[in-house]
Amino acid sequence: MIESLWQYVLAGVVVGAIYALIAAGFVLIYQVTGLINFAQGEFAMIGAMTAASLATAGMPAPAAAGIAVVVAAATGALCYLLAIRPARAATGVTLIFITLGLDVALRGLGLFVWGTNPLSLNAFTGGAAIHVFSGVLPPQAMWVLLTDLLVFAALYVFFRHTYAGTAVRAAVANPPIASTFGIPLRTFAFWSFVVAAAIGGLGGVVIAPITSATYDMGLTFGLAGFVAAVLGGLESLPGALLGGFVLGIVTKVAGGVLSTGWEEGVGFLILVIVLVLRPQGLLGRAARRA
Amino acid sequence: MTAATAMRSATTLEVRGVTVRFGGVIAVDDVSLSARTGEVLGVMGPNGAGKTTLFNVISGVQQPTAGTVSLGDTALTGRAVEAVASMGVTRTFQTPLMFWGLTVRESIEVAVTARDFGGTYPPAPHRELIACGLGSAGRRRVESALRERADAVLARAGIAATADRLTESLAFGEERLLELARALAVQPTVLLLDEPLSGLNPDEIEAVIASIRAARADGVAVVLVEHAVGELLAIADRVVVLDHGRKIAEGPPQAVAADPIVIDAYIGDELE
Repeated sequence: MIESLWQYVLAGVVVGAIYALIAAGFVLIYQVTGLINFAQGEFAMIGAMTAASLATAGMPAPAAAGIAVVVAAATGALCYLLAIRPARAATGVTLIFITLGLDVALRGLGLFVWGTNPLSLNAFTGGAAIHVFSGVLPPQAMWVLLTDLLVFAALYVFFRHTYAGTAVRAAVANPPIASTFGIPLRTFAFWSFVVAAAIGGLGGVVIAPITSATYDMGLTFGLAGFVAAVLGGLESLPGALLGGFVLGIVTKVAGGVLSTGWEEGVGFLILVIVLVLRPQGLLGRAARRA
Repeated sequence: MTAATAMRSATTLEVRGVTVRFGGVIAVDDVSLSARTGEVLGVMGPNGAGKTTLFNVISGVQQPTAGTVSLGDTALTGRAVEAVASMGVTRTFQTPLMFWGLTVRESIEVAVTARDFGGTYPPAPHRELIACGLGSAGRRRVESALRERADAVLARAGIAATADRLTESLAFGEERLLELARALAVQPTVLLLDEPLSGLNPDEIEAVIASIRAARADGVAVVLVEHAVGELLAIADRVVVLDHGRKIAEGPPQAVAADPIVIDAYIGDELE
């Protein structure tokens, strides 16, 4: 029993790492634009499907992965330029509905381009399964965790050690004042979509060898990423990381102990419990508005 | 006439016939004024006279219903807030507004870099590329120059001791001083100050007045809205008086203070 429980935890760590990447996208866009982008999971789908189809067509894996991330980022840029920016005068609720529409549209596009058959992507590296105490992880899990480490480290360095990152923090803290110093809020909004989409796409690429890729995978990953982001406080990148792992581990353990059908339900239950006990999320700051 | 005095007397900010209507309410009614380099233009008037709306028009936050604002030969009207800011117009607000989550020093640095980059992000690669502690010599030079500049600004404002504190931990007076320091740090051409003295203790008032005088000496065109009429008349080189959105008087401080129309608008009691 303990052995299998540990195995569920390990499986939860792997999917949790991907939830954390999607959640980071939610947090980035929410922080910079105040929007919840419900199309976030589709960037992972586009990354995974692009990489899998290119690799199936014979392209070397690193090139396929690189192109997939660029395609996902370009999709994010187009989403912003074609759907969000023209409607920027609209209210928040309208914009959120636009992102829901984008989610459906992108999934439809995925169905149109790639069809309903799952595509598979080979693991980046071969080799034997990795033993962690009594559990095992596929070799690809190391790539998943490495990706998390690199992405979150890069975000940390950007926000804490670059002038542009400090300017983004200033813009997030107080948009009207930031603009009176010439900080370009719209440029930052554009880049938040591009970067969130690239991170989501990368998440899709690295998880595809474990889960395979389907046109509708974005729905599950998007919802999980959203729950993880809210768990973490929606305004905090460390919160997104923590929220992703908490959600991944809890849902996989619940799914293993109860039944896989319970995974999502338990995920939402955790969300409700955290929001009741700690409305600002695990690492969010309590609301402080003058 | 020397070049310096020519520059000094040059008109920098020109507001011509600005009117702002909110529905049926006229907040600013056909107001014209100008501010010159190295001059403090005082703007006074009772609450609701249109002073803050006028600032919003100048800084691009509010588009006027009619009229134009220009800086030198360049029209500001119709430009976005960021564009007006990068042309050298900086302002403060009635309630000081901080970048929470940033330290005091970072608040200055972010303002300075935003101005230097002209709103272009990401900026020059050599400044950003190797961003961590392993930075190149070039990066470290830029960093330490910026830090020195920020610390000098904070020292001049009298809040050097707060440099490493988060802005949300500041007291009200410190927020005001930081807001002014942040505005001065970008070396503006035009500085719009919206009641910079309100809520300050006498020491802080003295510090702010010294900063305003220093800015004037540096050739900044300062436009000062202030309810503390005594202080305003003491610092201003010229004064414009607004009432119900209209300009009712303009001239040297003492002449304006003695103007019966102005005294009437203030019901006499604030001008002692």
